[in-house]
Amino acid sequence: MPPKSILKHSVVSTNAPPPSKPVSQRHLDVALQHANVLEQRKQVEKEVLQSIITLLDFPSSPDADPARPSASDALRFQDYMVPFQPSDYDSLIEERNISDRCGYALCPRPKRRAPSTAKKQIIETSNGVEIVDRKLLEVWCSDDCARRALYVKVQLNEEPAWMRQGGYGDKIELMVENPEEHHKALPLRLKREAPKKPVKQEEHDIADAWAARDDALADLAMERGEKPGRLSKANKDLITEKIKERVGTPQAPTPPTRTEGESHMAIEGHVPQSRDRPQQQNDEEDEDDAQDWDKHLPT
Amino acid sequence: MADSDKPRYSPSLMRMWRVYRTAKEMCMDRGYNILEEDTTITLEEFAGKFAREDGEPDRQRMPFSCEPSDEMLRKYSAPPTAKDPNPQPQIGQLWVEFNADENVGLKQLRDYMQHLSNHNFYSGIMVCIKPMTGMALRLLRGASGLDEGPKGGVEVFVEQDLLVNITKHELVPKHVLLSREEKAQLLERYRLKETQLPRIQVTDPVAKYLGLRRGQVVKIIRKSETAGRYASYRWAI
Repeated sequence: MPPKSILKHSVVSTNAPPPSKPVSQRHLDVALQHANVLEQRKQVEKEVLQSIITLLDFPSSPDADPARPSASDALRFQDYMVPFQPSDYDSLIEERNISDRCGYALCPRPKRRAPSTAKKQIIETSNGVEIVDRKLLEVWCSDDCARRALYVKVQLNEEPAWMRQGGYGDKIELMVENPEEHHKALPLRLKREAPKKPVKQEEHDIADAWAARDDALADLAMERGEKPGRLSKANKDLITEKIKERVGTPQAPTPPTRTEGESHMAIEGHVPQSRDRPQQQNDEEDEDDAQDWDKHLPT
Repeated sequence: MADSDKPRYSPSLMRMWRVYRTAKEMCMDRGYNILEEDTTITLEEFAGKFAREDGEPDRQRMPFSCEPSDEMLRKYSAPPTAKDPNPQPQIGQLWVEFNADENVGLKQLRDYMQHLSNHNFYSGIMVCIKPMTGMALRLLRGASGLDEGPKGGVEVFVEQDLLVNITKHELVPKHVLLSREEKAQLLERYRLKETQLPRIQVTDPVAKYLGLRRGQVVKIIRKSETAGRYASYRWAI
């Protein structure tokens, strides 16, 4: 018989990598959810940047009229505007001004020139003469464009696109003089009918039930303001449907009740002593209470 | 009077002279090949070279390119391995441009990036008069992962930041960039992981001056009353 080792027998090699499994599946899920939210935010920011780069060279034809933009330009502009915040829109105006264009993206004209190169300009307005920054004068090509551009700005959603709940697909309205053209150009959205296959009645019912459930879930997602293919805001796995108490309480504590006939005298459960009914143990002291005040005085 | 003998220069020309000198010094401190006399150019020489007739500096004539020195190439290349015995240095020709536009936005930045990639520059430095617009900065931040633009990225400085050379201030200690090899030695010597080093942000003024990238380590040499010199190391994040 070979000598038996007194050392602990272990099958785990000491230089094995530490177990890479996260502490719990839930931690991993939470981390992934937050990472996805950040990723989505980056996506939106990139989208906005790309839109601005495209809109720098808008409109597509140099003789476009801001009052009557071509339907395709208007449609693209409206689509680009959806994830914008007002501050992004300001950046767009700033960028367009730097490349010497009118701030309104559907206007091909250069921005207006101030009468002089002074920093502050004196202009006539309806409320009399005003002194304004030269920069403010050189934003738009005309007051008309300013009105059209600001009409778009006030419709933008203040909330960043990656945090929006519901109403994400708000349509931006444009101030145009040829609305009938744009309505015609809008793509009609019809619900696509799935091609029906002849199937057995039972299978059909089951398939219908599942389809109805999927439809309902999709509708709910739309209500939350999610887009198909986007990250879901309500992560099913992270929501616990059953709420459990951490410490089990055997029974609920019951309020104390007084069985004696004193309950009408009780103040928050305490019955004060009354003159008429001095308590037994105090009787002795109560007797010389009257002379108590001169007890310790020197005689 | 003594004043009247000397030629008078416009304030903007004098400003530009200082910016130009600091830019050259910065490139030299980073390790590019720069002529010594460029960093000590006098105002008269500068005015002769770059002033227009009206006394204003002509920024269009000022851009320059520079090649990294051998020492810098060594510093920026990964240590050779068996698989890759001759690693390519992570640095190359630099193009420094002084933008003359009042406001710099997306358009100018994209033009500049286009120029850099057309002429095969590895990285670029753009010096502009005023800070860039927010959207341009956003493009710059995301540009490292983008296809457009040079490999080494673009750095942007405002002229005001380059008026004085901050590394010459007495309170700014000496920062020395460590090569990959030196970094590995340091970590081995002190038995550290790089995450255990103190850190320096890449947006730190000195880090921007040296063009630090994420993951590099700088040695900071301070004066010490008791020890004479005191070295510490920081990991750029």
